[in-house]
Amino acid sequence: MRKRFLLGILVLAILSASMVSMAAPVYKIAVVAPFTGSGSILGDYIRNAFIMAVEEINAKGGVRGRQIEYVIYDDAAAPATAINVVNKAILNDKVDAMFGPNMSSCVLAVHDIAKANKVPMLVGATSPSFGFDKVGNEWLFRLRADDEVKVVNLVKYAVDNLGVKKPAIIFGSTDYCVVAKDVAVDEFAKRGIKPVSMQQIKEGEKDATGQLLNIRQAAPDALIGLTHEPEAAVIMRQFRQLGFRDVDVLGFSAWGVPAFTDLAGAAADGVISVQGFTPEYQDPKVQEFVQKYQARWKSLPSDPAQAYYDGMYLLANVIEKVGFEKEDIRKGLTELKDFPGVQGPLTCDAKHNFTNFSLISQFKSGTWNIITAIR
Amino acid sequence: MLSLVIQNAVAGSAIGLLYGLIGLGVVLFFQTTNLMNFAHISSAMLGAYLCYTYTVMWKLPFALAIVMAVMSVALYGLLLKRFVYAPLAKRKGGRLEFIIATLMLSVFLLNAVIVVWGGVPLPFQGLFGSDRFPIFLGNVVIQYHSLFVLAYITVFVIALQYFFTRTMTGKSLRAVAQNPRAARLMGINVDRMLNLSFMLSTGVTALAGILLIPVYFVSLDLGSGIIGVKGFACAVMGGMKRPYQALLGGVLIGLAENFVVLFVSSTYRDVITFLFLIIFLVLRKQAEA
Repeated sequence: MRKRFLLGILVLAILSASMVSMAAPVYKIAVVAPFTGSGSILGDYIRNAFIMAVEEINAKGGVRGRQIEYVIYDDAAAPATAINVVNKAILNDKVDAMFGPNMSSCVLAVHDIAKANKVPMLVGATSPSFGFDKVGNEWLFRLRADDEVKVVNLVKYAVDNLGVKKPAIIFGSTDYCVVAKDVAVDEFAKRGIKPVSMQQIKEGEKDATGQLLNIRQAAPDALIGLTHEPEAAVIMRQFRQLGFRDVDVLGFSAWGVPAFTDLAGAAADGVISVQGFTPEYQDPKVQEFVQKYQARWKSLPSDPAQAYYDGMYLLANVIEKVGFEKEDIRKGLTELKDFPGVQGPLTCDAKHNFTNFSLISQFKSGTWNIITAIR
Repeated sequence: MLSLVIQNAVAGSAIGLLYGLIGLGVVLFFQTTNLMNFAHISSAMLGAYLCYTYTVMWKLPFALAIVMAVMSVALYGLLLKRFVYAPLAKRKGGRLEFIIATLMLSVFLLNAVIVVWGGVPLPFQGLFGSDRFPIFLGNVVIQYHSLFVLAYITVFVIALQYFFTRTMTGKSLRAVAQNPRAARLMGINVDRMLNLSFMLSTGVTALAGILLIPVYFVSLDLGSGIIGVKGFACAVMGGMKRPYQALLGGVLIGLAENFVVLFVSSTYRDVITFLFLIIFLVLRKQAEA
């Protein structure tokens, strides 16, 4: 009896071993993005664009003959959750590479795990605080223009093109907003300009009248908005009601997405924003991406979808060149130059950013009109 | 400068009345049950999200959607009483257990809403008058929405006063809160009265949540934000007794917020406002003693 039992186990073991060796090896990628919590809308864009790229690559035979397999994790935009899911992805599910997290606070919490386990981590988060020049993590790469670049471009446009001389700044209280405020103040100072009023609105506040009245007293020629989407909507609605005249409104990246324009409605009309991507941009590569996305998902893509689509393609390109060794892939990513992406040519710079691409656009009767594209 | 002060006072009162609306529900519940429901603000969130669902997603007429949303939340109030309050009361669970249980409930409801509707604020345009064309009194801007809120509050407070002092049911509710045993001996159906007060306070707060949509959007801030804390603060400032005092408390908080921004700094708004609240409560207790 016992012999037969042991024999059975042996047969099973041999069978399962041969099954494993028969299954073609796959390249396994984790996607960590927020699907619940404050950033949940971003998760859908990220997943959709990523899956699209994977499907396209797999349909053409995968990378170096291996099919790409993916696991999607929800970090709920919370650093503590991000640590859990990244640990699970790397230690349990043994992924070969990772896309995300997409929130800067989450990236700061988890990038060391990627480094310790030598897993390439490609993120769409935008805070300058985790650039290679700041944290020195050689396994961490960024797929979008960082916030510093965007604010610099916004200030440059305000001063050089609009002739702003007396800006007022309203900013939020998170890392995203405060970093942007510091960069904006520095950039204005470089041009000999000092903001006439600086006001803060905390996340969740629904009344900006006090702040806006103070700003109106200072008689600015432009309002620079460095907040998240809901506060941007609150500010713009009350800005319109309080009857500001001849004041340009320039907003940070959160002021350039549907989450803001939907909430603000008509009050968003005329707002100028710096964006990383907009489906309205009439670039052949962008339009091709938008059409494919719409055909596959029946909805329009939004920032940061393009970043993860680009990311999957550039990773596949590097693997085709160097093979599956993680260390080689890391080096390959670092040496990547002028890879054609939706966001234009992608090159790994000293901060491990692949692109500095941003658009300055103005919102008019429901659509974004692109004023200028900056690479 | 004068118009600046007046505009700040108007805006502060307008947002303060909204805090007061939430405070009203707290007072109402306390007056009829002698309890604090820490998931109180969740009723406002549920009201807003359900109203959004009925109007925007199911395309029902707005008036019908309001009635359905308020009734749905009142039904939730009944379930709250049946499945949270009643079991605790039966096992001699005191007020403390109820407070902790409702605190947990508010976290549960918040996360349930995130799962069902997502975490992104939903737009709900054109509710209670357009915000594009406010009323101008000289240089001072007044929102149509504020007038709606003011009208609602006036009617509601008078109706409430009438209900509690002139109707048998209202008097019975107060009697139950003051002394359930004595009320039962007087032939009042205590259980039915408790059902009523749970439904009334959650329903009223749901309506407040809908009134808050133009300012708060249909967002999680209605169920987790600082407005819940401010609602309790209004109620306590008003001595937990009279509804109109809770409204007054709300207006005081709103004014304090705006004048801190005007005279001190927007960065320290909440720090100073809440410090002011604590000092106010301490001083009032000393005055009472």
